[in-house]
Formats: sequence, C-alpha cells, structure tokens
Amino acid sequence: MEKLTADDAFELGNQFRDAAIALRDWRIDNRGSLSRSQWDELDEREITLLNTASSLYTGAIGLILRDSQASLARLQSSVENAKSTIKHIAKFKQALDLASALVLFAGAVTSGNAAGIPAAIVALEDAASAIVNSAGSESS
Amino acid sequence: MARILRTTGITGRTRLLLSVLFLAIGASGCASFKEVTAFASLSGNAAGYQALTRDYVGALERRKQYQPPKFHGELEALTMRREAQRSSLDVLQQTVADYMQGLGSLASGEIRTFDRSLKDLSASLNEATLLDRNEKQAVGALSTLLARSVTALYRQHEMKKLIRDGNQPLQEVMKATRKIIKSGIIPDLRVESAMAGRYYDNFMLAPDNPVEPVAIALGKEAKAEALGRIESRIQGAQRYDAVLEKIAAGHQYLYDNRDMLGNDELGRQFKQHISELRAAYRNLLDVAR
Repeated sequence: MEKLTADDAFELGNQFRDAAIALRDWRIDNRGSLSRSQWDELDEREITLLNTASSLYTGAIGLILRDSQASLARLQSSVENAKSTIKHIAKFKQALDLASALVLFAGAVTSGNAAGIPAAIVALEDAASAIVNSAGSESS
Repeated sequence: MARILRTTGITGRTRLLLSVLFLAIGASGCASFKEVTAFASLSGNAAGYQALTRDYVGALERRKQYQPPKFHGELEALTMRREAQRSSLDVLQQTVADYMQGLGSLASGEIRTFDRSLKDLSASLNEATLLDRNEKQAVGALSTLLARSVTALYRQHEMKKLIRDGNQPLQEVMKATRKIIKSGIIPDLRVESAMAGRYYDNFMLAPDNPVEPVAIALGKEAKAEALGRIESRIQGAQRYDAVLEKIAAGHQYLYDNRDMLGNDELGRQFKQHISELRAAYRNLLDVAR
C-alpha cells in the first residue's frame, strides 16, 4: 500500500472527527437506554477517534512542511538578494552624492574658476561612468 | 532641462554629459513606489500571526482538561510532534514577512537619508559665494533631480528583479501555509470543539447523573464559553487565511504588471489590492485582540 499523502491524511482526519461526532449524537439520543458503563465506554471511543483525527492532521501538516522546503529556500534566497541590494543602494548613494557635489563644482566652473574646469569634467565623467556601469551590470 | 543647464551656465562636454545622463534616466525619474511601499509594509505586518502556531502547538495541553488522565500520555506525545513543527511553521510566516520587508525597503528607498545629504548640498551651495541666487537654485534643483532619478531607476530595476524571482516561491509558500490552515489547523480546532462539547454534555446528560437545574445551567454556560473561545480561534485562523489570500493576489498582480512599476496608472489600479488587504488585516485584528 502506498504512503498517505497530505490530502489523504486530512480527509481521513475529517472522517474520524465526523464519526466521533455522529457517535456522540447517537449516545445522547439513546442515553435513556444506556448504562453508565456503556455511556463511558462509547465516550472513550469518541475520545480516541478525536485524538486520532488530531494525530492525522499533525502528520499531514508535517508532510506539507517537508514539501514546501524547496520553495521556502528559494524565497529565503530572494530575501537575501533584496537585503544585499539594499546595502548596494547605500554605496550607490555615495556615488550619487559625489555626482551631486560635482554638479556643484560645475556651478563653480561657470563662475569663472578656470583652474577647476578640467578636473571637474573628468570627475563628472568618472562618476557618470560608474553610475552607468553599475546600472548596466545589474541589468545583465 | 536644457533651460536649467543654460541657467547654470553649464556648457560643452559637461552639459552634454548631463543631458545624456538625464535622457537615460528620465523615463523613471518621477517614478513613485508609494503603493508598493504601502502594500509591502502592510503585508509584512499582517503576515506574522504568531497566535496561529501558538494555538496549534498548545492545543493538546488545552484538551487535557476534557479527557480522562489515561489519554494524557497520548496528548503529550502529540504535543512533542507539534513542537518539532513549530520552528518550520514560524519560518513560513517569517519568510513572507522578511520578503515583504525587503520589497518595502527597496520601494521606499530610504529617501529621507538621501534627502539629508541633499540638504548638505544646499548648505554648500549657500556657501558658494561665486554663484548668484538663481544659479544656486538651479544647480541645487539639478542635483536633487539627478540624484533622485538615478536612485529611482536603480530601485525600479531591483524591485522588478525581486518580484520576478520571488513570485513563484512566494506563491508556493503562501499556498502551503493556507493549506495547513484550511485543511489542518481549522479542522483540528473543530476536533477541539467536539471534544469540549462532549465533555460538557457528559457533565449534564450522563446516565445516573442527578438532574440539578442550577448545575445544568452552569454547565450550559461553561460549554458556551468554552465553545466561544474555540470559535474565536477558528475565526482568527480563517481571517488570517483571508489576509494571506490578499497578499498572494496583490503580489501576483505586481508580478503580472512588473514592467509598469513606477507608473502612476499601475499605482492607481493597485490601490484596490491595498484596500482589500487592509480590510482583511483589520478583520484579523478584530479577533486577534
């Protein structure tokens, strides 16, 4: 016989639970004709059925947890990537701060500070290249 | 853009370089991810419902009071099996919450931190005595725009990648969690309800028990209270399942429309998903309190 699947176990659990409830209904409907010991004996059978249902649900949940490990690992890997990306943004911002500072330099250049012009342009080119390269390598 | 550059007096290679950079990033320059931020933040909070695991593992201990001592050993063994599942169940919830936190961080992009550095830039500009007032304003505006645009482009790209790679495992994890709730935890709580019901019925209806009206009334009251507590747990699980359904649907929508991230139209359409998730979460909080 093949092993129970999670769905089989859930369904069996439901059946045991419903059987226990049906037995209880019968026991109450027929209580006038039952002795105390018969009543107690049936009650214990019901308890056993209900506990068995719980045991089956526990087993089925274990099967689902086991089967979901691969998806869970992939999702955790995505989370790790997101965290690493966020760290990268912090570095990226430093590059942007540099670019912003260079625009400020460009402003200074327009004010007639001729000595600073070549250095400002080279620095701005470097900063822009770093940004473009960074975006390019991320999209590849 | 050209006007800003002209105003600042930036010319030649610098101007060309800036123009090209702006053209490259212009498409996403004004992108807003506030709906994604809201969805991720709400999902991150709603995904963690610790009562679910706590109730599931603690169920057998609660049921001892409804069963003769001869069954207690069996209940303790079952508790141990559930204890072994506790961390896996918690990880399912925590991973979804972590994922949403990551998505939310990308969407929000820590703009406040960045704007602080731009404020420093403004301060530096004010100290740049060689620039006149208009030039300072233009250079400041240009820097802010540049910085925000490039950050938005980068965030948009990373969000797309995260949503694309994360959707399938996220949907599978959500599906597994929802199955555990709907097919395992809720039916198990119905077992608890049957167990408690029979305990109080025995107390009131067992053969040879003397008919004591006061005792019967107390028994009915205690039964209603016990069943009410279990019903609250069932409702909590059902409403948590509804929350997960909304999170899964919202993320699927983002995945299906990931190429429109940052687009205002997507933001408007996505608001409906956020509203539904918020309503489901509010319902959960109503029973979780």
